[in-house]
Amino acid sequence: MAGLTARLKSWEGILLVLFLITFFGNIWLAPEFLTLQNQINLFQLSIEKIIVALVMTLIIINAEIDLSVASVMGLSACAFGYMTTNGWSAAGAMVICLGIGLVAGTLNAFLIARAKIPSLVVTLAMLIMFRGFARVLVKDQSMGNFPEWVTHLGQNALIGPFPLSLILFAVALVGLGILLHRTGFGRQIVVIGTNAEVARFSGIDVARVKTVLYLMSGFVSALAGLLYAARLGSVRGDAATGFELDIITMVLLGGVSIFGGKGSMTGVLLSILIILNLRNGMALTNITGHIQTGVIGILLIASVLIPNLAADFRNRRAKA
Amino acid sequence: MRIHPQTLRLIALGLALLATVLFFSTQIDSYLSPRMFTRITTSAAVILPVAVGQALVVMTRNIDLSIGSTVGVVAYLTGQFLGLHGDLNPVLVAGLAMGIGGAMGAVNGVLVAWGRVPSIIVTLGTLALFRSFLVQYSDAKTITTASLPQWLVDLPQANAFSIFGLDVRVTVVLAMCSAIAMGLALTRLRAARRFYAVGSNPDAAVMAGINSAKVVFVAFVLSGVLAGLAGFLFLAKFGNITVVAGLGFELKAVAAVVVGGVSIIGGSGSMIGVVIGTVLVDTIDNSLTRWELVSEFWRDALLGMLIMAAVTVDTVMSRQLGRIGLKTGPLKAGPL
Amino acid sequence: MICRAAPLAALRSLTGWIPPVTAVPVPLFPTPAEPVAAVLELRNIAKSFAATAALKDMNLAIAPGEVHAIVGENGAGKSTLIKIMTGVYQPDAGSILVKGASVSVRSTQDAQTLGIAAIYQEPMVFPDLDVAENIFISNRAQGAFMNWKQMYAAATKLIEQLGVTVDVHRAASGLTLAEQQTVEIARALSLDVKVLIMDEPTASLSAHEVARLLGIVRTLKAKGVAVIYISHRLDEIFEVADRVTVIRDGQHISTRPIAEVTPDGMVKDMVGRAVDIHAVKTAANLHGASVLRLENLGREGVFRGISFDLAMGEVLCLAGLVGARRTDVGLALFGIAPATEGRILIDGAEVILRSPAAAMAKSIAYVSEDRRKMGLAMALPIFANVSLASLGKLLGAFGIINRTAEMAMAEKYRKQLAIKSVSVRVEVGKLSGGNQQKVMLAKWLETKPRILIFDEPTRGVDVGAKAEVHNIIRALAKEGVAVLVISSDLPEVLALADRILVMREGKQAGIMDISQATQENVIRLAAGTDVRGAA
Repeated sequence: MAGLTARLKSWEGILLVLFLITFFGNIWLAPEFLTLQNQINLFQLSIEKIIVALVMTLIIINAEIDLSVASVMGLSACAFGYMTTNGWSAAGAMVICLGIGLVAGTLNAFLIARAKIPSLVVTLAMLIMFRGFARVLVKDQSMGNFPEWVTHLGQNALIGPFPLSLILFAVALVGLGILLHRTGFGRQIVVIGTNAEVARFSGIDVARVKTVLYLMSGFVSALAGLLYAARLGSVRGDAATGFELDIITMVLLGGVSIFGGKGSMTGVLLSILIILNLRNGMALTNITGHIQTGVIGILLIASVLIPNLAADFRNRRAKA
Repeated sequence: MRIHPQTLRLIALGLALLATVLFFSTQIDSYLSPRMFTRITTSAAVILPVAVGQALVVMTRNIDLSIGSTVGVVAYLTGQFLGLHGDLNPVLVAGLAMGIGGAMGAVNGVLVAWGRVPSIIVTLGTLALFRSFLVQYSDAKTITTASLPQWLVDLPQANAFSIFGLDVRVTVVLAMCSAIAMGLALTRLRAARRFYAVGSNPDAAVMAGINSAKVVFVAFVLSGVLAGLAGFLFLAKFGNITVVAGLGFELKAVAAVVVGGVSIIGGSGSMIGVVIGTVLVDTIDNSLTRWELVSEFWRDALLGMLIMAAVTVDTVMSRQLGRIGLKTGPLKAGPL
Repeated sequence: MICRAAPLAALRSLTGWIPPVTAVPVPLFPTPAEPVAAVLELRNIAKSFAATAALKDMNLAIAPGEVHAIVGENGAGKSTLIKIMTGVYQPDAGSILVKGASVSVRSTQDAQTLGIAAIYQEPMVFPDLDVAENIFISNRAQGAFMNWKQMYAAATKLIEQLGVTVDVHRAASGLTLAEQQTVEIARALSLDVKVLIMDEPTASLSAHEVARLLGIVRTLKAKGVAVIYISHRLDEIFEVADRVTVIRDGQHISTRPIAEVTPDGMVKDMVGRAVDIHAVKTAANLHGASVLRLENLGREGVFRGISFDLAMGEVLCLAGLVGARRTDVGLALFGIAPATEGRILIDGAEVILRSPAAAMAKSIAYVSEDRRKMGLAMALPIFANVSLASLGKLLGAFGIINRTAEMAMAEKYRKQLAIKSVSVRVEVGKLSGGNQQKVMLAKWLETKPRILIFDEPTRGVDVGAKAEVHNIIRALAKEGVAVLVISSDLPEVLALADRILVMREGKQAGIMDISQATQENVIRLAAGTDVRGAA
């Protein structure tokens, strides 16, 4: 444990330094960056992704993956657009969208936890399928005209200067942090991620834990899709396309092992802060969104490659 | 006489393709026509090399999600190059395209094989990276048919031969060549059998003195080379290349491979399966756009369901076979 | 029910008891004269990991065509030695000589080129490939192109040379462990191997499979292949070895022709002191009321018709050949692979056990045979492993774990079981095998089991630790726990059991009291009428 803590600490230490660099870099680039409103805006721009990243953290620590999150977000957003355009009440539509998220989660959970098909394949197929359903609903249109309270909730402050989505993020961060690091359920997630057979032979209901996680993922993704629709005020068939890349990058950069069993909410929070500041900094220096995506891609690979290379280096030195 | 489960799987796949064609022939007017044959085969020809490459990677227990972006980059760069040097020999042009693809595949290969980064992470990263390179490099400009040499513009309509009144295009022959060459290699070439070995049991491969890293690297390079060929065929077929060229190809390729019976956990699969899988996926795709009852927007939804169905059937089937094996075969050691 | 002091008492009463060595058969082959030129020689090999020296000044010379046994306790340096010979590790000092010439072995491939190959306890085959391809997969002499017909013919010939029958067209996934080993040996033969290292090849084999393997070893020897044979089973060593090398604490202790070795002398060399290897079966425990009763228990297609009563304080052993489905009975009782027919009664009431959680609720614990795969989460600290099966009682409001109580729980066992570790926060993976075993035991003792199932409790465990485990099992029984032991090790069964249930091909072949049991009648029941080749 001492070694593990030390390593986690050192990775989190690196993240902290990186965060400070990007943060002060932003202040240096644009002194007005430091206002509360700008800080809130920084979060708001990616708020849906970072909420989903928190649940993705639990799933990856559980040694699984959910590639379908962005498509569930898109489907939820499009279903909301479709229903409100066709005269449904917005509140009712929201409930149905969250229900869709739970159905999507159930489907993933059944195929992964019960039928025991690799999550990579299941969620890749679901990524295609749910995106397909989103397209079926909105075709090549853009659907908007949400009631004013919806866009208001999505764009304006709710309590003090804080909008609803940011409050939800803070609640989820603390709640899921406690769930992962302090509760029996969190321990079960970690043990399954370390070795699922050991967990099973210790009386842990592995399928149940996975089912709960995928239900959470489906529900939170659908919620994030609604927040996305409300924030933008309209939806298209490609809403939230490719978000899974950013989300998984945030989690892995946070020191969560892709092989499961290792990782902390603190690390993921730091990595979220780094990515938000990095994107902001790139925007300030007129780097386009596409390059930003490329940089995220590099970060994703580097977040796994660098620890590997460091381990190699240590081994080689130990051998010599 | 026992039929090998793999053979059974291929027969089932062939029947599924036949059923699909028969179904659509009842739904769409003049479906069973030479024109539809040409349409589907030329469309499948662009996907086939990508699927063949993907199959190799999947056999080694990896996945390559970056090939859609590779196809786009290759098509754009090759098109741009031809705009400047239109007199280049066609064979050299195809070679250039495959070379660019191979270099991109090598990036993936190095990171997976020697960097020991899981392939899903690497290729998800390069999927974004290659695409953003294309957007930046092209500066949102488009390659147009006008800038391409005439032979390339004519290539998609060029007929290799006709059989029973059906025209087989040169592009189709090229794509089939890649599948046949790889199929022959996988059954005849000792070195190619290592793709199966590494995917079947990576630890045993190391113990048997197989350089697993090299095998995985080669699989990714070949996947890139074949994506390069697909990029060339894409350029020939469409002529106009924008920054979204090849978008989503990786998903179609994974679908074709999985439907074609290549085990997603590595170690098994055949090129015949990949060819039938590709044709099946593409037939559904092409037929939906002409089917009046159902909106063409159902394409992706159906593609996802098809992958899921194929994987579920395979999983259930292999579990059944495993159970039968335990019942009738010699007693297996071990608790589980 | 169970007294917490039991394991403590068991450990304190450690007497260095060693399981019996059964018969000592006369070696079938005469000892060769002093070897002429070594086919493989290690000179002054040293290897350290961080601060620990795994091998110190190791010398070893293997003569062509000899069967050279290497014995030593766990941690004596056998694995490191193998890995140096096969090029997995590079020695820090010393030299390796093949036929008198100094060589460097930098990889498995290098080793193969030099004619050195190894097979392990867990066979390394490619499940998707057929037998013939498994044999020839890395054989460069086969040429660049596949000639399937010729390959099948060659494979058949190789397998026949080993005196066994395996269909070379079959996929390796359908083979038994013993058949997979045969494939590996054939692979080594095809590479024209000069030295074949066998690491615990019989650990998972049944008696007649062991006999067949020993036959193969003799065939190899006759073909001039030198075999380095590593095993904990001393009787096998006396059966096949020409010479025996004992290593201890990374050092070479002795190399002697088998004729000059006695079991007692060998064990003395291994542990560094004289020990009594002749077990004395203690008087049968006093049994209480029946706790567990099975009535015609079965699982479709796996096993059926298992019936017995297990009383408090009784040790019942499930004996039989590998593949007799004994583990499946254990898995059914623990709810992993539930029974589909028959009844399970606990304290006279029928219970349905469909999950480990259900079994644990009935105070059943299952100590699995494989620590690494099923027993412990190696990357997690000791405390998390100890509390793993009893997390429920540590939970407070909102399911939050009481960390103080969790630490206290782990501390208690660290002291009681003398787990050697600076703190309970140390990763289990960093502990020695024996200490890991204690952590696994602590995990299950904390659930306060009344019925404890041990699956192969001493597989691959050295002689010293074996005695420790046996003492713990006896002590637990004495405290009133009903114990079910699944074991392939016949001497172990005879030493531990109050009663023995013999299984054959998924069925109950017989049940007998220890007073009636002999090696012979257990084997006869286990193997059916065919007792040829049984040890």
